Amino acid sequence: MIEISNLTKTLNKKNIISDFSFNARQQECLGLFGEGPDVKTMLLNLLSGSTQPTGGHIHIDGINAQTYPHKAKQVIGYQRFKDLSHPTMSVKAFLNYIAAIRGYHGAEKRARVEQAVTRLDLYPALNAPLDALCACTKRRVSVAQAILHSPAVLLLDEPTAGLAADQALSLKAFIRSLVQEMTVIISSRNSEELAELCTRALLIADSRLVADTPLPDLQRSSRHFQAVTLSADTPLDLLALAVLPGVAGIEEHRHAPGTVTVLAMPGHAIYPHIHTLIANRRWKINTLNLEPGRVNDVVQQLSQERSH
Amino acid sequence: MKLLPVIFKRQLANYASSPATYLSIALFLALSTMAGLYLHRWVEQDSGDLLVFFQWHPWLYLLLIPALTIRLWSDEADPGFADLMSALPITAAERVIGKFIAAWVVAGTALILSFPLVVAANYLGSADNGLIASQFAASWLLAGSYLSVGCFVCTLARQRVVIFILTIGLLLAATALSSWVDALERQAPIWIIDSLSALNPQSRFSTIDHGKFTLHDSLYFVSMIVAFLTATIVTLNYKLR
Repeated sequence: MIEISNLTKTLNKKNIISDFSFNARQQECLGLFGEGPDVKTMLLNLLSGSTQPTGGHIHIDGINAQTYPHKAKQVIGYQRFKDLSHPTMSVKAFLNYIAAIRGYHGAEKRARVEQAVTRLDLYPALNAPLDALCACTKRRVSVAQAILHSPAVLLLDEPTAGLAADQALSLKAFIRSLVQEMTVIISSRNSEELAELCTRALLIADSRLVADTPLPDLQRSSRHFQAVTLSADTPLDLLALAVLPGVAGIEEHRHAPGTVTVLAMPGHAIYPHIHTLIANRRWKINTLNLEPGRVNDVVQQLSQERSH
Repeated sequence: MKLLPVIFKRQLANYASSPATYLSIALFLALSTMAGLYLHRWVEQDSGDLLVFFQWHPWLYLLLIPALTIRLWSDEADPGFADLMSALPITAAERVIGKFIAAWVVAGTALILSFPLVVAANYLGSADNGLIASQFAASWLLAGSYLSVGCFVCTLARQRVVIFILTIGLLLAATALSSWVDALERQAPIWIIDSLSALNPQSRFSTIDHGKFTLHDSLYFVSMIVAFLTATIVTLNYKLR
């Protein structure tokens, strides 16, 4: 679907992106992890064809994006981080305009716009000017114009940044449903959120591609993989927890007394043991969580290793 | 060039939705009619053409054209919107030419709206309609060449005030080129004066206005339009890098 080799971008004699190479298949969701939102935005800009690379090659859907930029742009949808605004255009006029530029007309154009409006639930805002919309609706319009033409590749730049929790949740559910249809590349500063959506992680640090791994591998390398967090009103018997088989250590939470995180040794599952211990001792537990691994920590650690 | 009609329609809708367009067209028509009727006493001259109205157009376009050009790229005044366009499968040429044609059509509409004068000329005496048609064509070509200058200025600046002032300045310099030539008459070599007066849109316009619709005068305006639009497209493409 996407093939990228030795992609380089230099701005003002400074390497923004140096020597990126990766591939993406259909129905894959790539997450761009790491510091530097401008680097990630630049990578998406290069992929979308709105900026030209200094060196390297981009093939999208078998099309060389440098030789046939027009053709490549037709199979890409791009939601930008920058908010849309226009003083007079309504949402409906805007989507119709984009659909017309995408080359649709007549009944097909109406059907395309209708479909996008339905999928993103934009009916209430249809006649409002773009400037009058709240950030959440603007983001939805932005996604709607990106999926209007059912692109093979969808680029999302910070799709959930600045949204309220419930809105972010519904947008995430929608993005997950899109992965069935197209290749999705998401950039986000919120690593945990990104981890929920993606199947593969690209870690960028210091303008380089540091790691390209399936997401489970990234989670597995976290210190907190298979860790169990439990909290109780009464102090817990930490010694009993520490001597359980496979326990690597215990972390007490400074800000929440009575809450501890039990770390597991690599390759061990400690959840059943802790569960039995609680049942035997009849502890009154408020919460008991198995952690999938803290991606944020891993990302930070890997980026720091790189810069040293 | 498949998307030209899309951009054209959008730009026309943009003009139609703005009160400034109607206001500037109305002002242009009122001033041009008043100049002919009161300054030159057209009714008393019994001339049969509309020369007295049209000879003011180069100066009146200084008002109309900048007012039209500041709306040319106002769709993309917002950086978010402009970036969005750069990721869409549309070429700079389609955008520039589509917008230019829309503005040119609006300028043409302003000209056509002065049709009562043609009716009056035919009613009051024997009008030379061929001459009047050539005067209309000349004025429309002049408007096109001024608009193409404005189109180019729009790629250099984003703020409306800057676009307005730059366009007025450039057009003023071009329109007043004949006075420059007069001032240089004895100081500069003859070839400079010759080339300057050949570049002067006002002298080209007045020859057509007097009824000599020659190929090289109309080609002068067409080549000016093509040159400035090409410069606009090249600048836009360069900016995308």
